[in-house]
Amino acid sequence: MKRTVDTQTRQIVADTIYDSSLALNDEDWNGFLAFCDNDSFRYRIVNYSPEIRKEQCWMDRDWKGMKSLFDLLPKHNSNHSPLTRHATIHRLSLDDAGDNQVLATSLLTIYRTQLDGMNSHFESGQTILFAVGRYEDRLKVDPGGGSAVLLSRTVRLDTRQIDVGSHIPF
Amino acid sequence: MNDIATEEKLEAASSATQRPRTTRNLEQWSRRPALPETHYVDTRVYTDHEIFQEEIEKIFNRVWLPVCHESELPEPYDYRTAGVAGNKPLVIVRGGDKRIRVFLNVCPHRGNTIVRAPAGSLLRAEPSGNPKHMTCMFHGWQFDAMGRCAEIPREEQGYQNRLCRADVGLREIRSEVAYGGFVWVNLSDEGESLQDFVGESFDFMKTELDTEPLEIFHYQKSIIPTNYKLWHETSREFYHDYMHYHNRATGMLQKGYFDRKYTVFRNGHAATGLTTVVYDAYEGSKERLLTFPGMPRNGWKQLNIFPSCTYSLRTSCLRVSVMTPINERETLIEIRGLGLKSDTPAEREERIADHDVIWGPFGRNLIEDLLAVQNQSVAMREGSGSKYLIMAREENETIHDEIGLRSYFAEWSRRMGRKAAEPTRLMEE
Repeated sequence: MKRTVDTQTRQIVADTIYDSSLALNDEDWNGFLAFCDNDSFRYRIVNYSPEIRKEQCWMDRDWKGMKSLFDLLPKHNSNHSPLTRHATIHRLSLDDAGDNQVLATSLLTIYRTQLDGMNSHFESGQTILFAVGRYEDRLKVDPGGGSAVLLSRTVRLDTRQIDVGSHIPF
Repeated sequence: MNDIATEEKLEAASSATQRPRTTRNLEQWSRRPALPETHYVDTRVYTDHEIFQEEIEKIFNRVWLPVCHESELPEPYDYRTAGVAGNKPLVIVRGGDKRIRVFLNVCPHRGNTIVRAPAGSLLRAEPSGNPKHMTCMFHGWQFDAMGRCAEIPREEQGYQNRLCRADVGLREIRSEVAYGGFVWVNLSDEGESLQDFVGESFDFMKTELDTEPLEIFHYQKSIIPTNYKLWHETSREFYHDYMHYHNRATGMLQKGYFDRKYTVFRNGHAATGLTTVVYDAYEGSKERLLTFPGMPRNGWKQLNIFPSCTYSLRTSCLRVSVMTPINERETLIEIRGLGLKSDTPAEREERIADHDVIWGPFGRNLIEDLLAVQNQSVAMREGSGSKYLIMAREENETIHDEIGLRSYFAEWSRRMGRKAAEPTRLMEE
């Protein structure tokens, strides 16, 4: 039986997920990593492909892997169109795996506001729906300190065609 | 140095070598490059609608094209749908006899698409059909896994003896499963065999591909606003490694990179030989432990099959990229990642990670390649002023030699009867 989450914990988890999303939207990579547990954090992007009828993984990194990915972004030629993540928490439950651990499922919508991906004279400033899916997060909550850290995040995508792709995690 | 001094020096250099000044006016810009016709391309080969239609007819309707991997339909009665050559609809079915057959996915009755899902099993009946059959939802005509018409509702009442099931089987497409378990098709009933078409090009990858069965673990696709040739060309020239920080760090800056040989084969196929990649030169990356049968650790070799397919075998994973031209401005790009069917879960996880870091939709290289080709397409849009692309690097058939591009357009010209440098005129004219 799933145990319910009290109001204070709910608020702490919501603040963490929303603030970490704002950090990603602001391309504040260190700000985002500060919300992630640097010992155990695991970030994955997965989806189910009806074409090959398999679950597939498109990114799998730990905290250090995320840090090096962010650090190397300036060295890559990229589409610099900013992404805007809208996450809405729909389900919270206590995780039996550990004390003060919470599982959170958020529905996710990602928009991209065009900048330099293609024909900036025509398209810069346009916003398109880029991807939909969900965040499946596991967090450790410190009720006394009023804070939480992400232990893992799985981005489960419904969208499987994402243009040229993205150097930036969702 | 001040600007005037710089300009004077340039002026002196120009007159000394008889070369034009550093910028060109319209007349100069429009001149053909002072190169052999085999060493440049008129950009109309990428933008002209009539040329595109002719490419479909003279090339894509006649060559062998890979459409999927056999592991996408592992069980009897599994199916996969696809489209080739301007999106001619196909359904690929594994029959009860385990043999894979390919059919045009068009109902002979009223022209409807018969099988609509990207993949599945015919063992599950459609709402208006029977198990083991492909059922057209429109009027309930059914076809078995061998393409034979199995059911026409109220056949005798409607057609008496004027038409019967034997007359209305599906159009079967020539197909073969080969070269790492890929399903290849040829829309023409006549013409060369698959083995004749690929020639000896797969020989240098044969051990890796055919020692044991492969299995797909990754599939992605995107419709990219670019001409299909531009995408294929990124696989045929490595001079653009300058664009990829990953390739500069792990390859170009490493010993032996510039010795990597380029080999061209008949029918326009081309391969780059084995090189060793130093993965740990990229921060956060590491030496790869897994490989393929016969392939050294951290190795990389690549084969381009004319006109639109690339096998890239890089350390622990095989990537196969297939392009389906939709029109002269749009291309469906499908990318598959494969490992060995015998992989343990841990091995498979490692192959997937190795694949994704470079080629996945969140990988480091794929995005750069796709950005480049779609921006090429923007810049050379018809009327934009773009005139010629140069493919004139000659470096003793090594990695930055553009021999792979030249061999591609030699085959293109042979099949089209047109020179890529002057594509609006037929060669016989």
